[in-house]
Amino acid sequence: MMSRPVPLAHLKEKEHIQPANSACQGCAGSIVARIVSKVIGENMVRQEVACCGPAFGNMTQPAFYGEVFEGAGAMMTGFARAFNKLGRDDIRVTGIIGDGGSIDIGFQGLSAAAERNEDMLWICYDNEAYMNTGGQRSSATTKYASTTTTPIGKYSRGKGEHKKPLPLLVGLHNVPFVATASVAYPEDFIGKLEYAKPIKGFRFIQVSAPCPTGWRFDPRFSVKVAKEMVLSGLWPLYEVVNGDLKITYKPKELKPVKDVLQSQGRFRHMTDQEVEDVQEHVYSFWNRLLEKDRGPLL
Amino acid sequence: MKFEVMVGNKAVAHAARLARVKFVSSFPITPQTTIVQYLADMIAKGELDAEYVTMEGELSCQSSAMTAATTVRSFTATSGPGLLYMHHPMHMTTWARLPLVMAIIHRSTKGMQPDQMDMMSQRDTGWLMLECQNAQELLDTGIMSFKIAEDKRVRLPLIFAGDGYILSYTSEPVELPDQEEVDKFLPEYKRPYPMFPEEVEEAQALLGEMWSGSVDPQYVWQKQQEAAMNAKTVIKEVNAEFQKQFGRSYGNGLVEEYKCEDVDAVLVAMGTIASTAKTAIDQLQEEGKRIGLVAIKSFKPFPSEEFQRIAEYSKAMGIIDRNISTGTDGGITFTEIRHSLYELDERPKTLNFYAGLRGKEVRVIHLKQMAEKTLKAARGEKVSPIVEWA
Repeated sequence: MMSRPVPLAHLKEKEHIQPANSACQGCAGSIVARIVSKVIGENMVRQEVACCGPAFGNMTQPAFYGEVFEGAGAMMTGFARAFNKLGRDDIRVTGIIGDGGSIDIGFQGLSAAAERNEDMLWICYDNEAYMNTGGQRSSATTKYASTTTTPIGKYSRGKGEHKKPLPLLVGLHNVPFVATASVAYPEDFIGKLEYAKPIKGFRFIQVSAPCPTGWRFDPRFSVKVAKEMVLSGLWPLYEVVNGDLKITYKPKELKPVKDVLQSQGRFRHMTDQEVEDVQEHVYSFWNRLLEKDRGPLL
Repeated sequence: MKFEVMVGNKAVAHAARLARVKFVSSFPITPQTTIVQYLADMIAKGELDAEYVTMEGELSCQSSAMTAATTVRSFTATSGPGLLYMHHPMHMTTWARLPLVMAIIHRSTKGMQPDQMDMMSQRDTGWLMLECQNAQELLDTGIMSFKIAEDKRVRLPLIFAGDGYILSYTSEPVELPDQEEVDKFLPEYKRPYPMFPEEVEEAQALLGEMWSGSVDPQYVWQKQQEAAMNAKTVIKEVNAEFQKQFGRSYGNGLVEEYKCEDVDAVLVAMGTIASTAKTAIDQLQEEGKRIGLVAIKSFKPFPSEEFQRIAEYSKAMGIIDRNISTGTDGGITFTEIRHSLYELDERPKTLNFYAGLRGKEVRVIHLKQMAEKTLKAARGEKVSPIVEWA
C-alpha cells in the first residue's frame, strides 16, 4: 500500500484559515497550512512552535502555541497520550512546524516521538532557513545559499554544507509513514495526507515551501520555483511506508539545477564550479533514491 | 490506612498514585530515578491507570506533561541538572496556567549531593514551591499539591521538594492513606484548558488573552502574581482540611513553628535541615535556652505575613540557607525574610548562615552553635559577621 494522488477538486471548499494573516506575499508555507487544515478537517488540534506559522496559522481549529521551540515532539506526545486516556483518540494531533523546529532545535524531540511511534502527524513546511527571524541558515538550507548568517563576502561563499536528508533519517525510525511533498504538486501532497490521516502512529511529511522573501525571487513564482525544484531533482518526491521507499514522481530526465538556482537571489553569486558541486550532489542523491526505489530503505 | 517502611522516593510515587494521575513522563536522573521506577511498577501491576511515557530528556518530560495537563492530571519528577534542563518549558507551563505537579528531589547544580540550588534556579518561573522534611511529609504534601495547584483561585504549576539521599533513599515508617480517603479529599481533575476541537472558541479566547493580555502586556504577569498570592490562602485551607481528614498537617501550611512558645529567638530553616534543627531545639530548650524553630514549608508563595507575625515574639532570627545567590549579601530566604520585615516599626535582628550547600553535612552541634549566636543577638549583644559560612 502506497499513497495515491488525489485530484485538487476533491479538496473541501470550507476554509479553516481565517482571512487576513500576516504572512509575506507569495508565502508557500501558508499554502501548506491551508491544504493540511482542509484535509485533516475540524477534528484537529494543532501544535505550533516558533516559526512563520503564527503569521499564517490563524486557523479555526484549536491550537497550542508552545513557546518552546524545541518542544514540538514532546508537546504533541502530551496531547496525544492525554486525549487517548480520555477516549478522545479521534482528535488528530497535527504539528505544522518549520524546518528549524524539525531538523535542528526540534530534532531530538522529533526522533524520540518517532522512536516511540507516538500518534501524531508532523508536517514540516520547509522554507530552508529561519525565515521568521530574518532568514538565518538552518541545516535544511541548500549548500551555497546566501543567508543572513552565511552571507557572501571575501571569506564566505554562503552555506558550506549540503542539506540534511531529514525524511530519510525519520524513515529509518520504523514509523508507518514518511514522505516528501511540494506545494507545486498538491495532488501528490493531498494523496499523502489522505493516506496518512487514518494511520495510528507517527507520520511525517516534509513539504517544500519556497519563501520569496528569504530566497529572493518574485512572489508570483513561489509555486513555479517549487515545481522547478522537483523537476531538477533538488526536491525529490518520495515516501517511506513502513521502511519501504517509493519515488512518487519521477521526471523522465532531471532538468539542470542551474536554472532554478539562478532564479533565486540567494544563489546568484554561485560560480559554475559551485553549481556543478550542487548538480553532482543532486545526481548522486537521485541515483541512490532510484536504487532504493520500491525496496527497503535499509 | 496502613503503615509501611519506605524511602522518600516511594512515598512520592504513592502520592502520585493516590492522586490518580493519568499521565506520567519519566527520565532517569539521580537521586529522583526510583520515583519513576516505582510508578512504572505500579502501572505494570495495575495499581495505577496512567499513560507512562519514557521521554528522551527532562525538557521533553516537562513539555509533554505540560500539554497533557491541559486534559488530564499529570505528574513528572526530576533532580538538579534535570530541573535546570526543564527551565524553558516551565515558563510556558505558568504562562498557560496549567496546574501540573512535579516532585523535585534536590540535587546540587554542582555535583551529586543535595542543596536547593536546583529549585532556586527556577525561582522566578512562577511555579509554587513547597518543601518537605521527611518521607511522610513528601507523601502528604504530594496529595495536597494537586488540590492547591488545581484550585481555581490558583491554577498554577507546583513543585513539592525534598532533599536527595537524606529523604530519597532513606527508609522511614510512613502512614499510607486509603484510596477512598484520598478520593474524598481530592476531587476529579477538571480540564483547565479547552483543547477539544468542539471548544475552539474558548480556546481561541484564552490564546488571545495569553498573547495580547487584552491591552496591557503586563496583564499575564499580573494575573500570575494574583494567583500566586491567592495560593497563600489556599495552602492554609488545604493544610487544615488535610488535618481534618487525615489527622496530620504541617504548621499552618506556610510555616511550621516548632516549640515557639515563650522564646526570644528562632532559627529558620527549610527542608531536612529544619528536621535536624528540631533535635537541636529540643536539647537547647532542655538547657533552658529560649529559642524555637520556624520551618519554611512554602517557599513560593513566600510567607511574608507569617514572618511579620513571628517578629512580634522573636527578637532575633538565625536564618539558614542551603542555597546562595552569589553577588547578593546573604542567602535567598534570608533576603526574602529581611524584605518581609522592612516595613515593621520594630525589626528583629537577622543573622544568616550558609549551610549544607553541595551536601555539606549539617549536624545538631552546628545548629546549636547557630542558635547560640542568634540568642546572643536577641540579648542585644553585638554579633559579627551577620552573614557567615557554617
